[in-house]
Amino acid sequence: MQLKERLQDRVFSLAASILILCIIMTFIFPTQFPTVENFSQLLLNLSIDTIVAVGMMILLISGMFDLSVGSIVAFSGGLAGYLMYYHDVNFIIAILAGLSGSLLIGFVNGWLIAIAGINPMIQTLAMMGIVRGLALMLSGAGIQNFPYNFIYIGQSKLFGLQAPVWYMIFIVLLFSFLVNRTVFFRRYYFIGGNERAAKLSGIQVEKMKIAAFVLSASLAGIAGILLSSRLGAALATSGRGLELRVITAVILGGASLSGGFGKIFGALLGALFMALINNLLIIGRVSGYWQEIILGLVLIVAVGLDQWLIRKMEK
Amino acid sequence: MHKYILFVLSLFVLCCEPPPRYESSDYTTSLTKDKFVTSNEVSPTEEYVMITTAVNLPLYVSHDQKAFLQWGKKMGVRTSILGPSEWDVPGQIATIEQVIPGKPAGLLINGTDPGIASAIKKAVAAGIPTVVYDSEIPNSDRHSFIGSDWYEMGRLQGERMASLIGGKGKVACMGILGMENMEAGFKGLQEALKKFPSIEFIGKYDDKANVETAARLTADLLAAHPDLAGIAGFDSNSGPGMALAVKEANKKGKVKLTTVDAEPEHLQLVKEGVISYLVGQKRELFTWLGAQFLFDMRHNTLPLSANDARAGIVPIPRTVITGSIEIDLSNVDIFLQNAGKK
Repeated sequence: MQLKERLQDRVFSLAASILILCIIMTFIFPTQFPTVENFSQLLLNLSIDTIVAVGMMILLISGMFDLSVGSIVAFSGGLAGYLMYYHDVNFIIAILAGLSGSLLIGFVNGWLIAIAGINPMIQTLAMMGIVRGLALMLSGAGIQNFPYNFIYIGQSKLFGLQAPVWYMIFIVLLFSFLVNRTVFFRRYYFIGGNERAAKLSGIQVEKMKIAAFVLSASLAGIAGILLSSRLGAALATSGRGLELRVITAVILGGASLSGGFGKIFGALLGALFMALINNLLIIGRVSGYWQEIILGLVLIVAVGLDQWLIRKMEK
Repeated sequence: MHKYILFVLSLFVLCCEPPPRYESSDYTTSLTKDKFVTSNEVSPTEEYVMITTAVNLPLYVSHDQKAFLQWGKKMGVRTSILGPSEWDVPGQIATIEQVIPGKPAGLLINGTDPGIASAIKKAVAAGIPTVVYDSEIPNSDRHSFIGSDWYEMGRLQGERMASLIGGKGKVACMGILGMENMEAGFKGLQEALKKFPSIEFIGKYDDKANVETAARLTADLLAAHPDLAGIAGFDSNSGPGMALAVKEANKKGKVKLTTVDAEPEHLQLVKEGVISYLVGQKRELFTWLGAQFLFDMRHNTLPLSANDARAGIVPIPRTVITGSIEIDLSNVDIFLQNAGKK
């Protein structure tokens, strides 16, 4: 229990780190960092990653992960774009088709992992390639010139913030409530903590696992639709590397690869922390050569420090 | 409770600011008058930013970025190179959008994908002189474009390939599928080959800009089509990969290879007779002249009116196609001498 509490404290320690980082950046870059324009841009840029990270957090809580989410982002936007551009399909139907396709991918992933017993890494790695191929077939060299109503979904603004930021806030609040307050989602902690005990206590683990993959893929599908709408283009290259970025953010946010831990707000804070580091590197004009190195080091330091604190507490 | 939710939702919808309506078109520049920031004095803190994706790609580092940094040194201004290290177009868009609030003196943006158009529009709307280089970005409002015509590069490869294989046989091509410029190149190649009814185009393949993948694809193609006459490459790593597999299969000279770019590795393969033809880009020219355009726009070097910015005139060329460099065995030594000097 003490260990669990300590790990869940990551939300608070990460929030404190973010606050300190913001204060330091305000002093170093007083004219560039603390501006409304920069913050609204920063939130917009982390919105897609955060929406996907919410689904990934639920998977990691239950001790699984999905490497195909980046490809699903490209696929859902690509399918919706393909239907609207080449077949003049109404934008609502096109969006529903993109989301249904993503949901189906999630179901196939979940079924093959939970029922057929395929290892999640192998299954989702294979699905990553298959779905990326489908996205390439659909989007080709990129699809543009979408109907205005579709563009509206991702490019309209409310109180100065672009729509994807509001979708992100809504999804984080909704799933935070569901994971904290509903029995259904609380069961994922039991599954991640001890799958056999969860099974023995009557939880339908296989069905829960399928549901988690369906949920994660559906959120990736929503992110893909929002990204296409925001860019005004469906790109086959969208979401490349997103899966690793999202897993990094979720682990920074307090999840454990072995399952049983994590909070939805942790996913948001992990993505925000990474976006802040990225923003710092761009404002500080740090060359792209260093960006990957610095982000990798940040992850090692953050997780390493956490493990060190846990060991110290256990002693 | 429901009434409260309905009220909040209605408030959201009513307060929502819709995005501007753009007529879909193939125009690359704005039809409205351009406004941009100018300055009479050159300051050493004046900053020009180059934004690309795959910022560590050797082709970009040794050509585009080298010329850009040299230009900055010569002009006495600051130059910064930013962008994601992977081929990540949304990452490039995020970088552009995060650089805009800092209001640099000029933005030199690699035209990696049409999806970056909206970010370029934002930079132009913020009054930052903006030049797109390498590949054109339609509907982006950019102030100027300088770069290559990829369709033409494909067409040139197609015509040379047809001549190399005597107008008959099976031809394949490879590059990065899904990239606008390469798809234009594939189209140029295919249309050039269509003029020769005895040539069978067997398909385009994704080598993911990776030498090992290009070599594996070529080996598979050679196994599946023992009578393959030629392969055309469209990214920097296609040529070396194709050449490796052809050499390993002892088919040097039997399978004709053409590709893009003229790095020392490509030149050496032409010298060895493995690759028959290269179409190079004048990459240094993109970034040197592109940066100079930004500088001239910022400092009103050649004014066309009392105040070009206020008059809505862009005092630099709107579109510059730098053309291609054609290299084969007849002139490769001259290029190898130059590569040796570098």
